[in-house]
Amino acid sequence: MSESRFDVVIIGSGPAGSTTARWLAQEGISVLLLDKRQELGAPIQCSGAVSRHALEEVGVPISEEFIQEAIYGFGIYNEAGKCTKIDYRQLKPDEYGAGESQVPLGYVVDRRRFDRYLMTQAERAGVTVQLKTEGIAYQPLDDHYCSVTVRHYNQTQHIKARLVVGADGLMSQVGKWAGLRTHIRINELASCLQFVVDKVPTDGLLEIITGHEWAPGGYAWVFPKGHGYAEIGLGVIPTLTKRDAQWHLKHFMESSFFKKRFSDCRILEVQGGGVPLASPLRTQYADQMILVGDAARHVNPITGGGIHTALSGGYIAARFLTDHLKHDRPTRAADLKAYQDAWLQKLGNKMWKLYEVKTDIFREKDIPTRDKRLFQTMAGYFSPDSEYKKI
Amino acid sequence: MSERSPVLFNIGWNACINCGACVAICPQPEPFISPFDTISVDRPCDIACMLCESICPVTTIDHVAWEGTLPQSPLNNRSHHT
Ligand SMILES: Cc1cc2nc3c(=O)[nH]c(=O)nc-3n(C[C@H](O)[C@H](O)[C@H](O)COP(=O)(O)OP(=O)(O)OC[C@H]3O[C@@H](n4cnc5c(N)ncnc54)[C@H](O)[C@@H]3O)c2cc1C
Ligand code: SF4
Repeated sequence: MSESRFDVVIIGSGPAGSTTARWLAQEGISVLLLDKRQELGAPIQCSGAVSRHALEEVGVPISEEFIQEAIYGFGIYNEAGKCTKIDYRQLKPDEYGAGESQVPLGYVVDRRRFDRYLMTQAERAGVTVQLKTEGIAYQPLDDHYCSVTVRHYNQTQHIKARLVVGADGLMSQVGKWAGLRTHIRINELASCLQFVVDKVPTDGLLEIITGHEWAPGGYAWVFPKGHGYAEIGLGVIPTLTKRDAQWHLKHFMESSFFKKRFSDCRILEVQGGGVPLASPLRTQYADQMILVGDAARHVNPITGGGIHTALSGGYIAARFLTDHLKHDRPTRAADLKAYQDAWLQKLGNKMWKLYEVKTDIFREKDIPTRDKRLFQTMAGYFSPDSEYKKI
Repeated sequence: MSERSPVLFNIGWNACINCGACVAICPQPEPFISPFDTISVDRPCDIACMLCESICPVTTIDHVAWEGTLPQSPLNNRSHHT
């Protein structure tokens, strides 16, 4: 690395980090974006569903490079297989469809290609990108600067920066470095497993299957994956079951109302991860440090979706930091609180509201009543008149 | 679920899908993470809450009581029995 001084060092080049980086660089802020991986997005820990609006909102061009399949709506199922179909090709045919004058509602993206594409966009905007580089620690130096320690091909490097952005995902360590309380409760982290499969037909809809029998505390899903493939997965809350996600996925595939549909399926890939169905972090900043994306728990607590919120969170962070750094303001915790306030106002307050809706459902101890409420909430959430449909 | 005495975690690498859920749930205040994005297996955990074992989607984490010394090659899948 020829430079050892940047305005901003961003740790993690997922959707949150690369979006923050790109928007800062476009405003002339010098940015080092680093990621410990050798190939972004791999191993895949995501199903890749994202709305078109989420991409357009932060200026990500819709590109064949990362799209696996276009999405036109949702099918929400209850435990017995009753389906509420919300197909925007039928609801708003003037707008949504595969025709020349129509658009898709969203996409299933390949996270390996998507994350690389976003990183490339940042790089082209002037960001210095470095893979195989792990953030190890950071140390505030004074009111305006900190020192960030990284490891790159076994070499330790120190970089002086005005602040560090922790965009290091759900396994975030950056918040811990600053002594923030980042711990997720076990009853709010869904343990997820999914297969990419062949020979399971789909129809341009994201299918979500609720019901304690199939996915206690979470839901199961069937997403189109392009080239005739599909994704089948689920997330479970460990405190609500004695079995693991692997057992539940097998049970769902072999015993649910979809067993015939899945009977011929071939598994092509195995993936998993943790999805926080939790509130955003109460404190997302410290001296010379802010958190964005999964690291700040910017995840929709009803759907578990975090790509949209990572992209918009990155944009909000970049907007705030551009103004802050251009005015040479100090970067102590007290000066960065305004970032969190801006985020709450634009996005976070709605996420807190969703968190309350979710908590209320799971406070219900009677399983059939809870299942019913989850199904109704999910169906309402994706309907055209939902107040949340743009999260 | 919680045990007081320190434990050493063992991961059956053959089943691990590298999903990071165990790291995400770990309440250790300092990083307790292996180079493979799992919880550490080369030093003892003194909290021993076992949340990592409950969150693992493929149940491939178990533990032994910490005896004060490391087994010969902790990353080489010591006797794993699940
Ligand atoms: C099974 C599953 C399915 C999902 N499906 C969907 C879905 O369909 N739609 C949706 O919207 N969301 C989905 N999500 C959630 C979504 O994947 C995340 O919310 C999203 O990836 C968050 O983006 P991010 O940029 O904050 O973090 P990440 O994408 O996790 O990126 C963090 C980056 O930081 C890097 N990093 C970490 N630590 C360091 C370090 N110390 N030094 C350097 N680099 C570091 C990592 O290598 C990684 O590249 C799913 C999650 C799971 C587990
Ligand atoms: S939770 Fe289990 S499968 Fe996931 S990384 Fe940890 S040990 Fe591996």
